[in-house]
Amino acid sequence: MREAQARDEAQPASPGSIRVRGLCRSFGSKVALAPLDLDIQPGVVTGLLGPNGSGKSTFMRTLIGLVPKTAGEAWVDGVKLSGDGTPIRKRCTFAPGELSFYGHLRGRDQLAWLVAGRGKEALQRATRRADDLGLPLRNRVRSYSHGMKRQLLFACALGPRVPVRILDEITEGLDPSKRGSVLEILREDAASGTTILLSSHHLAEVQRACDHMVFLQGGLKLSEERAVDVRAQSRRSIHLDFQSAEDAKAFSERARGTDVANIQQRENQLTLQLANEDPRATLVRLFQDESAPRPLRMDYGELSLEHLYRDLYGEDAC
Amino acid sequence: MRFAMRAYGIPSLVYFLLLEAMLAAAILFWPEFQKNAGMLKAMAPISMLKDMVDSLAQGGIEAYVVGQHFFKGCNTLGTAAGVLFAAGAVAGEVQRGTLELWLARPFTRRRLLLTRWLCGALALCLPIFVSTATVPWLLTFVDAEASTYALMLAATHQCVFLLATYSLTFLCSTLFDSPMGIALSVLFFTTLEFSIYLVKVATHWSLFRLADIGVFMDIMSKETLRADMVLPLVGISLACLAASLAAFSRKVP
Repeated sequence: MREAQARDEAQPASPGSIRVRGLCRSFGSKVALAPLDLDIQPGVVTGLLGPNGSGKSTFMRTLIGLVPKTAGEAWVDGVKLSGDGTPIRKRCTFAPGELSFYGHLRGRDQLAWLVAGRGKEALQRATRRADDLGLPLRNRVRSYSHGMKRQLLFACALGPRVPVRILDEITEGLDPSKRGSVLEILREDAASGTTILLSSHHLAEVQRACDHMVFLQGGLKLSEERAVDVRAQSRRSIHLDFQSAEDAKAFSERARGTDVANIQQRENQLTLQLANEDPRATLVRLFQDESAPRPLRMDYGELSLEHLYRDLYGEDAC
Repeated sequence: MRFAMRAYGIPSLVYFLLLEAMLAAAILFWPEFQKNAGMLKAMAPISMLKDMVDSLAQGGIEAYVVGQHFFKGCNTLGTAAGVLFAAGAVAGEVQRGTLELWLARPFTRRRLLLTRWLCGALALCLPIFVSTATVPWLLTFVDAEASTYALMLAATHQCVFLLATYSLTFLCSTLFDSPMGIALSVLFFTTLEFSIYLVKVATHWSLFRLADIGVFMDIMSKETLRADMVLPLVGISLACLAASLAAFSRKVP
């Protein structure tokens, strides 16, 4: 076991990949990031999911050297995290989750400031991207809306040709159509071989854009899932809300013995995990008895982050 | 560098214009001062000011220029400018919430901080040198002259003195998060020091003894820098800069 670990440590991280071993960060007695192991393959879009304070932003900041690590090691694009992380920041772009800018600068100047040190081509690409997104680069940044500021960061993060992009809450505050465009652009970028690590509270968009998901809570990695597996899991889950906990309990007793693989009850809510992906036969069987308690609401086929956490790990996330 | 220079450019220009306006007004007032020195001395409310008027009148145009330009103009305006340039250098980024954005670019923290320190130092010192360079030309309006070399040495001493205050404020900016609090605290301290200078029994406790008319006249007459003052002041600036770099390397956004 130890030999295998030593072999693993000795193996150089491949270009475009992210490798993390025992990375942790504490602020005084508060553990912001528990020892974390993670491998992200080149060209893969990975979503970091978790509620506020789960350690997503701390992990990203630690990975690029903005926050000094307490222990552990990390490699980005084959370069080991050391010192203030400048060699890593040269190999990746980072879009922070916080939207604070120099309001007195014009959009064009703020953009140039953000991609400073990346070369003229990066500035041209970022400017083109900002123009495509319809940003008024002649206006001062203080006049930008929340969504426009987010898009400005996005344009800057996409400007440089780097093997890795680290994007914190990159779609937060965007309207649904812009959110869709951003995710589409990220998919295209990943298809050209760029590794993307993004964080989000929105499971649906992570499901749409990511190949790989990492679930964090309280600085701990709860699980890693492939997006296809989570989608399959979504297709087998039915969520039911009842008037009362008694109704939920009565319904769960009726559901036992059918082709429901697992039943979880939380007060007046039930989650049924089906054995297969076709819910029709199960639903017919459960609802043909008219004396069965009637649910107030039923969700099928799409998991919210809250449901997913509860279903997978039995805990409340949000 | 370009962005940092731009950020300091306008405040530095305003500071230069104020300095130059004060200098020009003072030099053009020289004939009147010469004529009315006795009356001005009689009007001075405290003995330190009487002594100062005396030394200006006896020292001639050179003493008058260093007194007006360096001791009065640069020490007051320069200290305020230095404090304002330095107080927001890092703490301003924290307050604006842009520290993370600033640090996330592909530059080492050492480079970021040194660039900022240097830009602020240039913005502080350049107006002093440029305004001092105009002194010989301004003196032609009152039929007087002074050695440009000696004036530049005095300007160098003045800058070294102000850089110590600037570097100390810069260190505070890397350690604390409120630029307003830092600026007010340092300005309070420097104003107190300037006030102490004017109190005869306590004047030797004032830091402004290091940049007063006597010191500047000494530099002007000997045409050499005062190593006994310049070296410790440079040492203070470098120590503050080193401490700033150490504090900044651990700064968490």
